[in-house]
Amino acid sequence: QRAVHPDRFGQRPLKEQSYSEQHSSLINKAYQTLLNPLSRGLYLLELNGVEPAQETDSDADSAFLMEIMEINEKLAEPKNEDSLEEIETLIKVKQDELTEEVTAAFERDDLQEAKKLLAKMKYFANLEDKLKKKKIPS
Amino acid sequence: RQVVDHYENPRNVGSLDRNAKNVGTGLVGAPACGDVMKLQVEVDENGKIVDARFKTFGCGSAIASSSLATEWVKGKTVDEALKIKNTDIAKELCLPPVKLHCSMLAEDAIKAALADYKLKQDPNKEESEKKA
Repeated sequence: QRAVHPDRFGQRPLKEQSYSEQHSSLINKAYQTLLNPLSRGLYLLELNGVEPAQETDSDADSAFLMEIMEINEKLAEPKNEDSLEEIETLIKVKQDELTEEVTAAFERDDLQEAKKLLAKMKYFANLEDKLKKKKIPS
Repeated sequence: RQVVDHYENPRNVGSLDRNAKNVGTGLVGAPACGDVMKLQVEVDENGKIVDARFKTFGCGSAIASSSLATEWVKGKTVDEALKIKNTDIAKELCLPPVKLHCSMLAEDAIKAALADYKLKQDPNKEESEKKA
């Protein structure tokens, strides 16, 4: 970014300015992708030629789906700050656990397992977003 | 417009008693977008679906698809309901291509609920199928 940031190209010809913007934007995108464990994991899958999970989850994962449903239902209830904090902690703990499991799966080259775990992470990422929205005072 | 209508005024939101013998519960998830959908049906002694409820956490199209699904299954027999295709749901709601998977999720939810109902009617069959 030090090399391509648009602020350093203000005086340069337009073509160079455009390059700097594009590269800068790309670098930001790459950084954000790698920073977040879920997007990083999905990118790693992609690099290894494995497509992320597309098919509907149902019977095999019913216990997991029920857990996600329950957390969603709790979030949907109008509540106070304390219970929101509880839910936030729970989600964070689960995400950290899953991140560790995904890391282990990649380390032993178990891409199919990584794929399954990343699908689970997606549900928690959604919950995290919903919780953040709830915290914004309306 | 239908999508917005089903999203703002979803029909049949709620739950049925999942422990009741004549209630089938389908719980499905879309890993790509992290949406979860629960669809339940209550079936009478003639094999006709008399009530249906859903709870969906996800995008507007997913909510609309499951809302429409509960409307459609009511009054149908179990076998008729199994014929509902995601393409019909998508067409009715005019879903754009990127949201077609939402209608698929609704179709899967219907099938899961009906499969659960059937299983409950014939636990012996499940036992023998498991052993086989």
